[in-house]
Amino acid sequence: MIKFKDVNKWFGSLHVLQNINVHVKPGEVVVICGPSGSGKSTLIRCINRLEKFQDGELHVDGMPLHNYSINLTKLRAEIGFVFQQFHLYPHMTALENVTLAPIHVRKIKKKEAKEIGMEKLVRVGLGDKASSYPDQLSGGQQQRVAIARGLAMSPKILLFDEPTSALDPEMIGEVLDVMIKLVDEGMTMCVVTHEMGFARQVAHRVIFMDEGEIIETEKPDQFFDNPQTERAALFISKILTH
Amino acid sequence: MLEGFNFRIIWEYMPLFLEGLRNTFLISILSIFLALIVGVIACGGRLSRWKFLRGISIIYIESIRSTPLLVQIYFFYFGLPTLGIRIPEIQTGILALMLNSGAYIAEIVRAGITSVPNGQIEAGMSSGLNYFQRMRFIILPQAIGVTVPPLLGQAIVLVKDSALLSLISVMELTRCGQVLTSERFMPTEAFFTVAFLYLCIYFCLKYLADWSQKRLIFKETY
Ligand SMILES: Nc1ncnc2c1ncn2[C@@H]1O[C@H](COP(=O)(O)OP(=O)(O)OP(=O)(O)O)[C@@H](O)[C@H]1O
Ligand SMILES: [Mg+2]
Repeated sequence: MIKFKDVNKWFGSLHVLQNINVHVKPGEVVVICGPSGSGKSTLIRCINRLEKFQDGELHVDGMPLHNYSINLTKLRAEIGFVFQQFHLYPHMTALENVTLAPIHVRKIKKKEAKEIGMEKLVRVGLGDKASSYPDQLSGGQQQRVAIARGLAMSPKILLFDEPTSALDPEMIGEVLDVMIKLVDEGMTMCVVTHEMGFARQVAHRVIFMDEGEIIETEKPDQFFDNPQTERAALFISKILTH
Repeated sequence: MLEGFNFRIIWEYMPLFLEGLRNTFLISILSIFLALIVGVIACGGRLSRWKFLRGISIIYIESIRSTPLLVQIYFFYFGLPTLGIRIPEIQTGILALMLNSGAYIAEIVRAGITSVPNGQIEAGMSSGLNYFQRMRFIILPQAIGVTVPPLLGQAIVLVKDSALLSLISVMELTRCGQVLTSERFMPTEAFFTVAFLYLCIYFCLKYLADWSQKRLIFKETY
């Protein structure tokens, strides 16, 4: 579904992604973690082409992203992206946020899009907030609307970039619960997160990055209980004491 | 206090003042409308991906903003005929006002567009919306709330700036004051009336600006 082959990326002279090789199969859930600045965001932003890379091959849903002439709309329509800071459209209600892309990208009729949108909002537990504006919602609720916005396009892949890092502790659970439900439904997901509980419970693999390199790829329990490298061990001890 | 003040003369010259008011009004409306078009185009160029367009827009915007309007007016007034282009003063004036305000409007619109956080644009891109859809549904609705009040401010500036056209003998409001002054030598009456009429235009626009400020908080525009 997602296949990185020797991908390299530079920001100027900074080598942010170094020889990345990752293969994510349909229905797989991959958690990506690592210290700040290690290139996690950059890695998942390559998957929906929010970032370009200079070298290597990347296939997503059969499309060759190293080929610059691909149809971006078609690619992005199949991939939901959830940001750390939610990025809901502040001038639209929750339901309008969710239905915007289905109406204008998928060209679904308004009425039908509203039904789909409502269904997704109910699914994230916000059926009663459809007509609320983002600034009337709590952080956790905003992030769940953002997830519903991604789901409304019926994507094949969902990408999450630290979806709970901007939330107050008491709201993290409600967002993770929604994400766990999606895993149970068989969604393909790449999640940048430091939530160890989430990783242990649902991830099929954990990818550990440092300074632009993938240092370890392990099953979650193996990774957290028995890291193979010193760098990973150091990182885990840091998030544990955190 | 008003003993020496001759209201009769104001009344006598009222038709002239009204003509001046009408001209000032028409010149301003037309100039601001054209300036909007020029401004939006220049802003598009300024934000363009193409270096060439960006370069031209920056040269235009910066050269207008760095020189006095009066110099620009004279430049067109004396410059165009030497290029063999002969147009009436009033059109020269509108051209100068249009290009002048256009540069400021370009910057106002640009400020509005760049005030929309990048994350909003990335969210739109991520869900597959193309450039025009992002503009139409995400950027412009949020930009308009912060753009309209300063645009009306620019309109007020333009009305006052149009007084400079009196110097190339366009029969607008200020010119009428000059006429009354030179024919009857009553500058106090003349410019009191002129100022009062500018004040009337100002309050109309100010009212519109305040009203739009209240109405155009972005939530209500959608
Ligand atoms: N647009 C950019 N231009 C230049 N450098 C950038 C840009 N975006 C990111 N970087 C740099 O690339 C490196 C990797 O950034 P990235 O955001 O991928 O890290 P991250 O692992 O997501 O970190 P964090 O946990 O802080 O989010 C950092 O050193 C960052 O400063
Ligand atoms: Mg990041």
